[in-house]
Amino acid sequence: MAAEGAAVLARARQGDEDAFRALVEQHSRSVFRLAYRMTGNEQDAEDIVQESFLRAYKQLGRFEARANFGTWIYRITANCCVDLMRSRQSRRDQSHGESLDAAEELPPAGVPGPERLAASAEIERRVQTALGELSPLERAAFTLRHYEGRSIDEISSVLGLGTSAAKHSVFRAVKKLRTALAPLRRVQS
Amino acid sequence: MSRHYSEDDLTLYFYGEGRRRADIESHLESCAQCAALYRDIAGTLAAIGAPEGPARGDQYGLEVFQRIRHRLPEHSRFGWFAGFSRVSGFAWGAVAAALILIAFVAGQRWRSAPANVENVASRVSLEPSNTGAKRILLTSVADHLDRSERVLTDIMNTSNPGDISTEQGWAEDLVETSRLYRQDAIAAGEPSVAAVLDELERNLLEIVHSPARISNDDLEQIRRRIDAAALLFKVRVLGDELRRRNPTS
Repeated sequence: MAAEGAAVLARARQGDEDAFRALVEQHSRSVFRLAYRMTGNEQDAEDIVQESFLRAYKQLGRFEARANFGTWIYRITANCCVDLMRSRQSRRDQSHGESLDAAEELPPAGVPGPERLAASAEIERRVQTALGELSPLERAAFTLRHYEGRSIDEISSVLGLGTSAAKHSVFRAVKKLRTALAPLRRVQS
Repeated sequence: MSRHYSEDDLTLYFYGEGRRRADIESHLESCAQCAALYRDIAGTLAAIGAPEGPARGDQYGLEVFQRIRHRLPEHSRFGWFAGFSRVSGFAWGAVAAALILIAFVAGQRWRSAPANVENVASRVSLEPSNTGAKRILLTSVADHLDRSERVLTDIMNTSNPGDISTEQGWAEDLVETSRLYRQDAIAAGEPSVAAVLDELERNLLEIVHSPARISNDDLEQIRRRIDAAALLFKVRVLGDELRRRNPTS
């Protein structure tokens, strides 16, 4: 199986479109999942999937034959996400969106029924807004640590950061999320 | 130990990283202040569940490839030509014969094509603010959707799954036009039109890239995808809507 994968990769590196298609077919779903987790937006994730494979195709000649294509496309995707979020952030900075300051009253924990469901939807909405407030690197580092279960060393390698920078991106993200979600936690407790 | 652990230390601890994990663990048992901080960190992070992403089916990879295929840089084609340069003289003869045959069949089919697939978009300069040009674009797209509907209907209803080369020929003509209209629709601020054209283009590409002598299973797969996307329905509805918006068409 590994030898077959290496052969497909070697053919793709020689410009064989069918071999590249096989790689796209094999990795598209995991690339989409990562892109969706990083951006929280289906259309953005779709754009990133396409952009990541196009970047990969253009750089195939520089790809180390012995390396793992899955790891490589994962790294390309993460960085595509950071690029997209940076471009979005500069636009958002001009028209700043929703504020997280105002804590809304939520029904107390343990109360069943629609109020509780609405509360969990509210938490989810707050989480998404809070994630949207993170810087692109913070969001990428947090996604890799929290959702993808990557270690700090792996995050550092994927995002091309030093270990300390990767670690502090995660710390800053956690701090911001705690601050943003504190009103909800106070109401819940 | 008398000193307290920082939020960063406890964050790493939550994620199973960092050194002195055993020290932190025993400290949390005896220090109420650090234990409260840790509970708060853990509670916040536990509330942040992984987002349920929209599902993607088994064919998703193929769809992605079809979407990016026409954007792959030229060097792939150099690779293809490099491969050609290695074939034997006999193979070259076979290729030449095949090309002559393809040209002959294409000529026959061109004369008998049911519709003239004309790319209005290539003739008309389309500025989003130019309502006249936009009207022409929407009319052309409506006609294009009619032609596409006929091809899709043929594929859905063909009683002879052995040979779809005629439908493939029509689909091939429509793919490039579809792509141009899609780009123009985006430029004209018509994202919903562009979205249907994108979906149409992918399905047409699948028809084009299927073997001309298609198996029942492969044909069924194409039909299922068209069905799953409700493509025929979307094409009809959009065609009607464009005509309603532009009653002169």
